[in-house]
Amino acid sequence: MPFVKDILQHKSLSIVGLEKNTGKTVCLNYILRRLNALGVGVGVTSIGVDGEQVDAVFATAKPEITLYGGTHFITSEKHYLQRQAVSEIVAVDSRRTSLGPLVTARVLIGGKVLLSGAATTGVLREQIKAFEALGADLTIVDGALSRLSLASPTVTEAMILATGAAVSANVKQLVSRTRHLHRLINLEEVAPALRQRLSPIGSGIWAVGDDGEVHDLGIQSVFLIDSLGDDLLRHGKTLFAAGAVSDRLLKTLTRKEHGITLIVSDFTKIFATQEAYADFVRHGHRMQVLQRSKLIAVTLNPTSPQGFVLDSKSTCDALSEALQMPVYDVVKIEEAGGGS
Amino acid sequence: MKIKELIKQDAGFQYIIDSLELMSSAGRRVLLNSAFCTDAAELEHEWDNLQEAIRATGDTETRRQYTDLRHCLMQLHDLQGTLASLAARTPLNEVELFEVKNLSLLTRQARRATAALGLACTLPLPDLDEVFALLDPDSTGMANFYIYDSYDNRLPALRRELKALQEHDGDPSRIAALLSEQSEIQSRVCTELSDRLLPRTADLTEALNRLAYADSLLARAELAIRWHLTRPTLGDTTSYRSLWNPRLRHRNEELGMRYQPVDISLEPGVCLVTGANMAGKTVLLKSLGSAQLMAQCGMFVPAEEATVRLAEGIMTSIGDEQDEMNGLSSYASEITKISNIIGTCRERNMLVLIDEPARTTNPVEGKALVQAIIGLLQQCGSTTLITTHYSQLGSNCRRLRVRGFVEDLADVPLTPQSINRFIDYSLTEDSSEEVPHEALRIAAILGCDERLISLAQENMNQ
Repeated sequence: MPFVKDILQHKSLSIVGLEKNTGKTVCLNYILRRLNALGVGVGVTSIGVDGEQVDAVFATAKPEITLYGGTHFITSEKHYLQRQAVSEIVAVDSRRTSLGPLVTARVLIGGKVLLSGAATTGVLREQIKAFEALGADLTIVDGALSRLSLASPTVTEAMILATGAAVSANVKQLVSRTRHLHRLINLEEVAPALRQRLSPIGSGIWAVGDDGEVHDLGIQSVFLIDSLGDDLLRHGKTLFAAGAVSDRLLKTLTRKEHGITLIVSDFTKIFATQEAYADFVRHGHRMQVLQRSKLIAVTLNPTSPQGFVLDSKSTCDALSEALQMPVYDVVKIEEAGGGS
Repeated sequence: MKIKELIKQDAGFQYIIDSLELMSSAGRRVLLNSAFCTDAAELEHEWDNLQEAIRATGDTETRRQYTDLRHCLMQLHDLQGTLASLAARTPLNEVELFEVKNLSLLTRQARRATAALGLACTLPLPDLDEVFALLDPDSTGMANFYIYDSYDNRLPALRRELKALQEHDGDPSRIAALLSEQSEIQSRVCTELSDRLLPRTADLTEALNRLAYADSLLARAELAIRWHLTRPTLGDTTSYRSLWNPRLRHRNEELGMRYQPVDISLEPGVCLVTGANMAGKTVLLKSLGSAQLMAQCGMFVPAEEATVRLAEGIMTSIGDEQDEMNGLSSYASEITKISNIIGTCRERNMLVLIDEPARTTNPVEGKALVQAIIGLLQQCGSTTLITTHYSQLGSNCRRLRVRGFVEDLADVPLTPQSINRFIDYSLTEDSSEEVPHEALRIAAILGCDERLISLAQENMNQ
């Protein structure tokens, strides 16, 4: 029963896929099954439209999410009416999505459900609170294609990363890309005192002096950073980017003298490519985060949507070695009985 | 005209409406669709309701019931669409039935709260207990909803079997068959429930709209308390003691600046207001407009005492950037507005507020125009206030003058920043034909180029 016990240490969990078809749903179903056996009260919600019966990109059949009696969940009116579980409506949100209002319900008799959700993390935070009020011990947020924002530690306390053959059929590539995101997730946290000072800042690029003093560099947009030239480092080599970190920002900083520390809110704000990040680090710079995410597990789906299958054991081993943490093939665990 | 149109024409009134703390989108809909009221009895009734709501809001003994009522309104969804479907005999689905059940439960809770608050007559709500009972066959008393086993005697056995199969990974084809059968039964139940709800559509719609009205009323009551608004009396003249303008007062307070309310009383006919620049003549017009709008839209007014003469509408010509945005020259825009005003006032009794008419054209024709405007508006029954810098207009209408700049009014150094503290914004009756000549003095205080002022002074002396 790997990693399920770790989940129980947290109130909210996000499941993020490195790509589509990396086995997020299989992973979610595994976790829900295990939590049901343990009698844990769970709330399930999602961001963006996800859990479609037919995958929109590759049109491969994709397992629906199986919910068990007592579980609370949120989905749109359209998908609620299509559910195969027997459930009662607890609340209906007054905001409407393209699929109708969001419905919160409690499962009476287990069955399959399609999840669809709101597109903003603000709504997610509200939902996590609402589930807590309904008595859920844990809220699980199912992710959507290339959306990392739900894994921000400001939204969910812990995360699971799903990777697989869909990322690359080349094991070296797969390991490299997974390791990159793993590195970002595990970026070093700044000292609590500095975090307190920087957390309230909403936008712009700021300098942190050696004395810990925070200076506004007056840069509202990354596009203006070039105009500042070497003036950028007038307060020292530690910078804080309150918003997103793009390739452009990293490339500009990479060219500066060595030893810059770039602080970001959390890893979900880093939109720079793997190459730009590698270049940045190679030039002797480093990145830190205000808040690090708690990565509970990495799972592998060895099957690609095109049907190509990687060797499960050796790929898991290669990933485990690169990440220095266990990596699970969830389908294998399920087949082996998953400890039930 | 409806509030939603009025706020587009008047930024000050928009500010007031935006300050209302509504709990629901239905409440906002009802508020924005309520009309500028020209019927005295209707308006008195609305103010009675508001006064009752204010009493209930302020009563500490029933604070809990009041909070309950606000909480009900917070949960109110605007299910107009659902009720329209019901009326059109489209069967409601489970989610829509939940919404109807929720509305009947909220209505029940709100009825209890309004009774305890003594608002049962002010906010009469239909009895929807039968609707609730229909959608709560197991008497749980909860808002939760699904197609309960008790709706169809085939459901209990079907769901027992389904449960057993789901829990033990039973035969998928059997599960599919049961799910399909359940789905059929559920849609039939939905249709039956919708049929039984059909005769209650009017009650449900009434409950929704009355709860939405309650939201609008309580929001107006809370604003009246927060801003210390006053109930006006209706009369043949309009008069205010300590009238103030919400948007400007709050802006001044934010900037740490003083705001001086004014007393004014207006008879039907034309009244001219003169006074130095910066003496608050435009603010006075805007304040009168806002107060009249508030009163006739069922609100109390920002003054310590108020008598309001009902108007069929408010017409203004107060120059602002809006006109230039529309591509009209300031003169063209102004003269079009004034021409409209004169046309409308021939038939209707309006409140007319005109700020410095003809100020952008040559003083010879300008003065003649102003005299003509006064002459025409004197002949109709509207109440008109016109500010002007023109003197010797020769008409016999009433004149008010803003007292204006008083050298020793404040005990601080006189600077461009503090000048506002040296202005007495109060009004006084003025029998002279002359307007105050303070433009140069004020320009000097504001720090204008000395050459400009001394040259102007020389010109004056010639």
